[in-house]
Amino acid sequence: MFHWLEKNPFFFAVAVFVVIAYAGIVTILPDFMNSARPVVGTKPYTVLQLAGRHAYIKDSCNACHSQLIRPFKSETDRYGMYSLSGEYAYDRPFLWGSKRTGPDLMRVGNYRTTDWHENHMLDPISVVPGSIMPKYTHMFSNPANIETAYAEAFTIKKVFNVPYDKADMPKLGTYEEATKMALAEAKPIVEDMKSPEVKAAFARGEIKEIVAIIAYLNSLK
Amino acid sequence: MQSSNMINYDYSVAKLFAFATIILGIVGMLIGVIIAFQMAYPELNNLAGEYGTFGRLRPLHTDTVIFGFLVSGIFSTWYYIGQRVLKVSMAESPFLMALGKIHFVLYLLVVVAVVGSLLLGITSSKEYAEFEWPIDIGIVVIWVMWGMSIFGLIGIRREKTLYISVWYYIATFLGVAMLYLFNNMAIPTYFVSGLGDWWHSVSMYAGTNDAMVQWWYGHNAVAFVFTVPIIAMIYYFLPKESGQPIFSYKLSLLSFWGLMFVYLWAGGHHLLYSTVPDWVQTMASIFSIVLILPSWGSAINMLLTMKGEWQQLKDNPLIKFMIMASTFYMFSTLEGPIQAIKSVNALAHFTDWIPGHVHDGTLGWVGFMIIAALLHMAPRMFKRELYSKKLMEAQFWIQTTGIVLYFSSMWIAGITQGMMWRATDQYGNLAYSFIDTVTVLHPYYTIRGIGGLLYLIGFIVFTYNFYKTITAGRELEEEPQSTSPMAA
Amino acid sequence: MEIETIRELQAYGYTFASVFLAVIFYAYIYHLYTSKKKGGKDYEKYANMALNDSLEDTPVEKIEPLDEEKQNRSNK
Repeated sequence: MFHWLEKNPFFFAVAVFVVIAYAGIVTILPDFMNSARPVVGTKPYTVLQLAGRHAYIKDSCNACHSQLIRPFKSETDRYGMYSLSGEYAYDRPFLWGSKRTGPDLMRVGNYRTTDWHENHMLDPISVVPGSIMPKYTHMFSNPANIETAYAEAFTIKKVFNVPYDKADMPKLGTYEEATKMALAEAKPIVEDMKSPEVKAAFARGEIKEIVAIIAYLNSLK
Repeated sequence: MQSSNMINYDYSVAKLFAFATIILGIVGMLIGVIIAFQMAYPELNNLAGEYGTFGRLRPLHTDTVIFGFLVSGIFSTWYYIGQRVLKVSMAESPFLMALGKIHFVLYLLVVVAVVGSLLLGITSSKEYAEFEWPIDIGIVVIWVMWGMSIFGLIGIRREKTLYISVWYYIATFLGVAMLYLFNNMAIPTYFVSGLGDWWHSVSMYAGTNDAMVQWWYGHNAVAFVFTVPIIAMIYYFLPKESGQPIFSYKLSLLSFWGLMFVYLWAGGHHLLYSTVPDWVQTMASIFSIVLILPSWGSAINMLLTMKGEWQQLKDNPLIKFMIMASTFYMFSTLEGPIQAIKSVNALAHFTDWIPGHVHDGTLGWVGFMIIAALLHMAPRMFKRELYSKKLMEAQFWIQTTGIVLYFSSMWIAGITQGMMWRATDQYGNLAYSFIDTVTVLHPYYTIRGIGGLLYLIGFIVFTYNFYKTITAGRELEEEPQSTSPMAA
Repeated sequence: MEIETIRELQAYGYTFASVFLAVIFYAYIYHLYTSKKKGGKDYEKYANMALNDSLEDTPVEKIEPLDEEKQNRSNK
């Protein structure tokens, strides 16, 4: 019986596949529905925040920063309340990261401000002496991709029933409405910033990456 | 068999992929050295505007090395070993020959697309699966073509039973296909909304589920790219080069099924103390320990193959590379399970000990094995003697020193960092601010950079040796049976 | 179906599948190590597939050539 398998490539391949697929079925499937249920109060990202999240992903911030607080006193002291599964219900993709070259950012919105982020992105050592983080000056000149962010929000609303436009949830609306809302959301952030380049662009109705990413970071609580 | 006397094995596709292996190896390792020094000297981030920052280069490093250097090494050795152990030449089938060449051309196109898109920051953020959907489709096509080549060659074989290396190549093909497909399930947003970048997509899984699928993939990509095909290589090249049959063929079969079954459970050890269910974490932790058995089964089988022939280790640098590779395999398959123990993981996770662990596997085990494979294939593919034994010896020691510097500095860095994160003063307050745990690592980051640089230098020595072999090596009249011929 | 029922079925399924695979695995070990004594396969001979791998070498277990037919099949 065994030897038969060793000279029948097709059935051999089937056997290998069954053996390797087994673990995935047992470990991933059973809790699939459970893990995806949002915690009360968790809301999907607004279009501006999503655009900021895309900027975060574009420069692989997750290569050095985690977004996962483990249930240890040393971590809750440093970063705040430990993470709950439901808090990630609207994270597509998840951004837990695998390496903390820099600190965790899961609740960075609780203890950093727009002004701090602006200085930090321009020149990290000006606010954190000894920091090895690169300067992200290009975020001040690249425009945020609001259109793609809206496309994503629209897609997840339609395909995964993410509760945009529901009571107490962020409004999505049409693309025109969404751009107006993104501008309104960006306004207080731009006002808190000092970069003339960003302010001038905003006056023309353009949102820079830095504004979107600050909106995203401020939303992490 | 009359006809077989007139035909020979056809290595044209194996050669093409061998060149790709070397070139992408240099590129990937060079980027690795750059980002290693960026961590010690952050000013290096600003050399090429937004395209030269750590964030853009890190995925480029991992993907160039994994899907460039390694996967083309896998393809190259497959197109070499496959013919030989099935005793059938690709020249016998014009279809498979054409398929192999198209496979190579498409592969190169995808490599170009990957490099370009990652530099532009087009990424899905999932580690080792950063590519957006158009590239994913290209990768699936390449993979299917490789599968057709494997099963096509098997279909016209003369050897009835499949050699163990072929088992491992089949497993690589199936494993990566399954993992890659499920992890990259995403919905292109443009086609739903009609707006935004056409290449953008959004993951089908959210939050914790996404993490589980990603690390089921991420860990097992390691299994099916860093381990399974490399075992395929060593089960062919070590016996062939040393002239010794595998110590125990039965053990190699047992380890195969053991590895196939156990490896896939261990992915959850990347998510210990996260928000995935506790039982998944515990299961992952236990299976990681169990994984030592099949891993060491293969490794010990390799070492015992040299039983009574240990003088070859002194005489033949290729054997040296392969034995060192098996030793590093044993080392990293012991280190990994240790890191997967929950209490150790609490300290080690998120620290530099993890990249340290990855690199003693990749530099020591994977890198050395692929180098040995290319050196073994060169005299047979190009019918020339290896150019210089001295250069191989020098390369071996330069690279070994590099690896030792790499993992020892990352051990110290990781444990220092982990201890400092949790250290408290006498009142129970955190003793260090985060930046203290960064600045303290500067010397270790520098040592690691030097270690990586040494490995790259060794690889360039290898490239020179390979180049000289195919252009200036003494021509061979007939194919060597075992030990590869080499000039002093 | 109730979630508890699903869980229970899963648990049974998992237990049986695990026991089944374990039995197969041990049967395989038994098969490998007794096969030669019982006059069946000597598995160690397959190791020679790597050592004697030139086209002129005789295969360990030959598939009869049928070269013509194979050529046609692969050309399709």
